[in-house]
Amino acid sequence: MSIFQRSSRVLAIDGAAVSIVFLIMCAYFAIASPYFLSPDNIHNTFVESVSAVLLAAGLTFVLISGGIDLSIGSNIGLSAAMTLFASMNGAPTVLALLAGVATGLIFGLVNGAFIAGLGVSDFIVTLATLSVGAGVLQVFSASTQLTGTADSSFLALARGEVAGIPTGVLIAVVILFVLEIALIKTPFGRTIYAVGINPNAAYLAAVSVRRTKFLVFVISGIVAGIGGVLLASHLNSVQPGLGGGYELTAIAGCVVGGVALAGGRGSIWRAALGAFFLSVLSRGLQLIGVDPLWFSIVTGAAIVAAVAFDRGAQKWLQSTLRPVSPVAAAATQNAQ
Amino acid sequence: MNTNENSQSVPVAPADQPLVSVRGISKVYPGVVALAEVDIDLRPGEIHGLLGENGAGKSTLINILSGTVSPTAGTIRISGSESTIATPRDAQDLGISTVHQEQSLAPNLTAVENIFLGREIITGRNRLTGVLDEKEMRTRVLELAHEFGLTDHDIRVPVAALGALKQHVVQIIKALAFRTKVLILDEPTSGLADHERHTLFSYMRQLRNKGISLLWVTHRLDELFGLADTITVLRDGRLVATVDPAGQSAESLVRLMVGRSTLAAREDIVDEGRAHGFTGSRDEVVRLESVTRHPLLHEISLSVRRGEILGLAGIAGAGRTETAMVILGADRPDAGSIFLHSKPAVIRSPRDARQKGIAYVPEERKTHAILGDFSIKRNITISDLKRTAAAGLFLRGGQETATAKRFVSDLGVKTSSVQEKIRNLSGGNQQKVVIARCLFTEPDLIIFDEPTQGIDVGAKAEVYRLIYEFVDQGGAAIVISSELPELIRVSDRIAVMREGTIVGELESTGRDEAASETSELGERIISLATRGAVAA
Repeated sequence: MSIFQRSSRVLAIDGAAVSIVFLIMCAYFAIASPYFLSPDNIHNTFVESVSAVLLAAGLTFVLISGGIDLSIGSNIGLSAAMTLFASMNGAPTVLALLAGVATGLIFGLVNGAFIAGLGVSDFIVTLATLSVGAGVLQVFSASTQLTGTADSSFLALARGEVAGIPTGVLIAVVILFVLEIALIKTPFGRTIYAVGINPNAAYLAAVSVRRTKFLVFVISGIVAGIGGVLLASHLNSVQPGLGGGYELTAIAGCVVGGVALAGGRGSIWRAALGAFFLSVLSRGLQLIGVDPLWFSIVTGAAIVAAVAFDRGAQKWLQSTLRPVSPVAAAATQNAQ
Repeated sequence: MNTNENSQSVPVAPADQPLVSVRGISKVYPGVVALAEVDIDLRPGEIHGLLGENGAGKSTLINILSGTVSPTAGTIRISGSESTIATPRDAQDLGISTVHQEQSLAPNLTAVENIFLGREIITGRNRLTGVLDEKEMRTRVLELAHEFGLTDHDIRVPVAALGALKQHVVQIIKALAFRTKVLILDEPTSGLADHERHTLFSYMRQLRNKGISLLWVTHRLDELFGLADTITVLRDGRLVATVDPAGQSAESLVRLMVGRSTLAAREDIVDEGRAHGFTGSRDEVVRLESVTRHPLLHEISLSVRRGEILGLAGIAGAGRTETAMVILGADRPDAGSIFLHSKPAVIRSPRDARQKGIAYVPEERKTHAILGDFSIKRNITISDLKRTAAAGLFLRGGQETATAKRFVSDLGVKTSSVQEKIRNLSGGNQQKVVIARCLFTEPDLIIFDEPTQGIDVGAKAEVYRLIYEFVDQGGAAIVISSELPELIRVSDRIAVMREGTIVGELESTGRDEAASETSELGERIISLATRGAVAA
């Protein structure tokens, strides 16, 4: 087997191209900075990536259905504020957690009601709720200092450890797992793809397109709310501008991971990988001493490079695998 | 063709030589033959009518001539020399302009700005440093504008402020301002009031007198007479005939459109017919009573029983698909009632319809039926995912695959695997998968909307077989088809629709009867479907 065929086999694996770019990047950082692979740094990288990864995972539901949710940035900030506010005022951890999740749910319900119920453009609705959410956080934090809770059980949500693994990361992994199952293994998940591929055909094939569209925004909202809870527990303070721009990082993460903005394609693990990629990149840049002023320029270039490599690999595969596959097909037929 | 080749050396073509000569033009999409070896000649100073039902290939032909679709095979000669029309710009350069059915004007720009869009006249020589020479542009179109009834004011305001007729005129002027030799008009009278239509017709005559060749697509047959010099009829992507309107009536044209010429005999389709027929009790499955949906449907009443195929006949726009949408719950009636199994029912959505035992095979396969990125398996099970799910909650891949394999073998879908993406299949195989999707829900009623459109002859016979099998096992079917021979062949009864109402219901003689009786039935259907709608 030629090196060409070998490499095309590897690249044909779902998400292989992005994973390769990711590993190359890690290798570079590891060589450039001895601290990069230290347990401390790995620990911190995971902990800090939790909110970005969760936002991307929730957003993936909306993207696969062919929609967009911009409101997740202010959603995570406001959810963090609500959960921290509840905990600071003596609410037990469970109630504080519910306050954050409920805030996320409200975002999802409002978005879903306008988009699926009234048929308003998702871009406009979520741009509006993004703005309103950010404004509410500003107003709220102007009158209330969200400087921290003394409730250690609340702080343990993100900061605790189980067998050396941070609880925040564990919770995120469990949520990712549940979301992936919901997307891949349930009838509802399947309808999300169908709606993203062709809403007209899905509708005439007895799929409830409106219900699906409504629910993807609810899920995106709830997951952002959970992200807010973990973020509040991790930071133990909420600044007025918390969450600003997170929606763009999440979208970028999804795109890097290979979730199609046009709908119909993607998965949770790909979105999570893409978001984690960006987290590692920003941490790596800090470690090797890049001037923070340059971060967004390098990040932007890296997003384009990663996506270009992924699409380039796909195109290359399409041109090389075609002559290969009939041979492979013949081989398997002979084997039978 | 000899004359054409000779004329390549002669710059000025003789008067009777075609400006545009299309030979053997075909367009094949994956799974669909949109246009098959069509010939058409457009002569200078000629109004050439182009007729055909939806999906007959008119749009494809227009798109090829205007450079938005590239043909799979065939040649186009412009004034005798072979030409490639790869882009809309090529078409313009060759003197072919198109007035599209949908307004293709920028609504916020003025007529002048629209006409010169992308071809602005600039003061000075350099395109980058020059400024727009608005005066020159205005002067250039003023004469044409006056000729076609636009005032100085009209060409200065955004075109959105103009009426439908004036917007058409702007498009025509746009075409004329740039040495157009061939003008394609795609249903130019849709959206026009009667007197506006007549104004447009007089403009069309003016254009003809200037020696321009007009290719005119219309659904309104009455418009053609007295205006068109030649009429070409397409059906199913093929050229049926090019005729002189003098020897035609509206009815004879409809006959050409729907396949009257092949009413009597179609040996090309091997139709085994109904095997045994349904022997159980023929209970009523669905009944519509005076169902009205403004403004498309008026007082529709029909019913279908188990073991029965009801055909819905009518020309495009008669309300057949709209009737299907009401039964499917995609559209709610304003008045009237629907009965399912003789009980009053409200059908809220296609999903609700599925739960009530109704399934639908959509008309536009590519845009409304297939989920292109999904595998065959997923395209089948999408209609009722809970059927193969464990406890209705978790999809079971093995169960899904087994189900899909059963359908693929029962329905004779030609594929190497049920994991194959549906968009890689031929049109006929795609249609079988869509039918499998319907059968998967175990419905009592399936509505087949143009079930054989764009699929080859062999696949047509197989689709008929699937319809027969479904009703023989106790299902009820409604078949909508623009191909009259097909409708007569498969239906037990035929309801004829015209302008949103049912104008008659006929027992089908079916394929067993003598050919003459079949064509007699065809004649009756055509006259019902067109009477009043066209001036014979």
